[in-house]
Amino acid sequence: MKFNIIAANDIRIFLRDRNAVILMFLLPMVIISVAGLALGGDFEQNIQIDVLVVDLDNGEISKGFIEFLEEIDILDVDMESNEFAARDRVKDQEYGRLIIIPRDFTESTMMGENSEISIIVDPTEDSQNTVLEKIVEGYANGLSTNVVVVKTVAALGIPVYSEEQIFEVVDVANQFAQPLPVQVKTESTSSNLGEFTSFTHYVPGFAVMFVLFTSIGAGSVSLLKEQEAGTFRRLVVAPISKAEIIGGKITSTFFKGFVQLAVLMIFGHFVFDLNLGSDMLALTVLIAAIALSSTGLGLLVAVMVTTKDQADSVSNVLTLTMSAIGGSWWPLFIEPQFMQDIARLTITAWAMDGFYNLLYFDLGLVGILKEVGVLVLMTIIFFGLAISRFSFD
Amino acid sequence: MNNDAIISVTNLVKRYNGFTAVDGVSFDIKRGEILGLLGPNGAGKSTIISILCCLLKPTSGRVIINGFDIEKNNNEIKKIIGVVPQEISLYHTLSARENLTFYAKVYGMSGKALKKKTEALLDMVGLTERADDRLEGYSGGMKRRINIAVALLHDPEILILDEPSTGVDPQSRKRIYDTIRKLNQKGVTVLLTTHQMEDAEDLCDRIAIVDKGKLIALDTLHGLLDMVGQSDIIHVMTKGIQPDTAESIRQIETVEKVSVDDGNMTIQLVHGREMLAGIIDTLISSGTRVESIQIKEPDLETLFLHLTGTALRK
Repeated sequence: MKFNIIAANDIRIFLRDRNAVILMFLLPMVIISVAGLALGGDFEQNIQIDVLVVDLDNGEISKGFIEFLEEIDILDVDMESNEFAARDRVKDQEYGRLIIIPRDFTESTMMGENSEISIIVDPTEDSQNTVLEKIVEGYANGLSTNVVVVKTVAALGIPVYSEEQIFEVVDVANQFAQPLPVQVKTESTSSNLGEFTSFTHYVPGFAVMFVLFTSIGAGSVSLLKEQEAGTFRRLVVAPISKAEIIGGKITSTFFKGFVQLAVLMIFGHFVFDLNLGSDMLALTVLIAAIALSSTGLGLLVAVMVTTKDQADSVSNVLTLTMSAIGGSWWPLFIEPQFMQDIARLTITAWAMDGFYNLLYFDLGLVGILKEVGVLVLMTIIFFGLAISRFSFD
Repeated sequence: MNNDAIISVTNLVKRYNGFTAVDGVSFDIKRGEILGLLGPNGAGKSTIISILCCLLKPTSGRVIINGFDIEKNNNEIKKIIGVVPQEISLYHTLSARENLTFYAKVYGMSGKALKKKTEALLDMVGLTERADDRLEGYSGGMKRRINIAVALLHDPEILILDEPSTGVDPQSRKRIYDTIRKLNQKGVTVLLTTHQMEDAEDLCDRIAIVDKGKLIALDTLHGLLDMVGQSDIIHVMTKGIQPDTAESIRQIETVEKVSVDDGNMTIQLVHGREMLAGIIDTLISSGTRVESIQIKEPDLETLFLHLTGTALRK
């Protein structure tokens, strides 16, 4: 396979263009810094979610869960003992959200039985509801680990009758799986949720926007430039397959997008103390999915237009529109619902959801499966359309 | 198909959206010869070579190159042809050496063989000393020499050049011609397209004349000029030709063809020198203001006018 030769050549040509390199890294760093510092205070004031909690269990685990919620800065937690009264208060829009911890929640969890935490929401505040759902989901994931351990032990035929025995089982499991799953999950999530800053939004937000500029704009222009300069024809007349030529172009554009996004995230981490989450594999997978989908869109733009000037204009419009609608410049939840629905058609919205799930909710690889899945689906659609329309003549 | 033919083209047709760019062209190219495709811009020359280079698929017809059918053995053909595009198809922010190295890798070369070949080609085109300079600092002629060198990396049996001397200074043109001749002496078959008669006359063993997608003549230079007979060409440059002037000139005895293009008139006639006075009289009496007149011996341009009724240079 010779696609790597073409990819390496593309990257070499790119590195020769100092302005392009500066534009790729320095400019986004400046904009991230300015936006994050200038809009930080206002940004933090905007996020405050009220939630009413009914604890029907009153056990150790339910109390731990409530303490966890109270530690989160963006949540205003109030307690209500009567479930029906609580439901009425949400219905009357006194509170936007209600969490009901069921009876025997602690016992069910400890005994390895399934249980369910209910969230009742006011449907008009969809994005804030989503944030709360993610928080609860993150905590539930941690507890689920405990339940799985107990269920596994039971499946192996070891009877568990008392709380002491359960702790004993978990202790044994801990010897084989460090750190303790429930503790790790709880601490990590709690710590991240407490560190939401403007940079949690603006670093990935602007990083994604500039990756779109790189992959859609520079990617499509570079391909058309080669076609206009005749170097593309020269490759086509060489004994190298069309798949290798396109593969090389895709690889170089993907590589540039991936490195750019990774460098900007690392920049955010070291300069603005951005929490990157605990799962570096998940972050890598998300960055790769974003770079790949935007590369696919870049290729599609390249085959839809005829000149590099057109490619430039179309990709600028696409990038800026996706960034505005999709949540690069402001959090998606401040947009009206119909705009949030439209945003689901953009790479940006799914990318930002993925970043929130990792950087803020720390949900790990499992928590970004849906976002990565959608980005991969977009990639397949973009590449499919682009390749079906690609002309080597 | 001729047994000596390395390229055989039979009834080649290429249509784009209802426009026929190549219309039933047939010709053979013998192993080791230099064949020129001569014709004005838009005649179909570049389309023909794009098909031979496997860039375009023919609408119909058959092309066999070194025994391989272009429709079936695309990859085998690509290994034995070297293509020099009309435009400078190189990466201008890379050096000559980097360009050559990249394309050599694309052709599957590596290690010492790659290094040896790139050095030899740099030497051949006389650019060893500038090999590590970026192409953006090169003159047009130097770029064109590297453009040719890239096509020779894999020692092709057939070299296809599209308008090789377009936009180059006389010195570079001579150097390019010398390179093509040297390669041909080593056994490389050369096919070149040109709209410049000098290219065809100086370089080619045989010349194929193409116009409006059709092959209208194919022979050696002498063979083609014999077709014109004793005709001369008179070029008249004017400050504006009156509407009836061309028709008046056509009435003159021995005038065979007249073409008018943007204030210039090209007249094909027998015994040009003897008839010159009569031509000038007719021009002046018709009110045409003559700036200059030039008489030419029979050449390819005469032939082109003879065959097509239009001047080659447009």
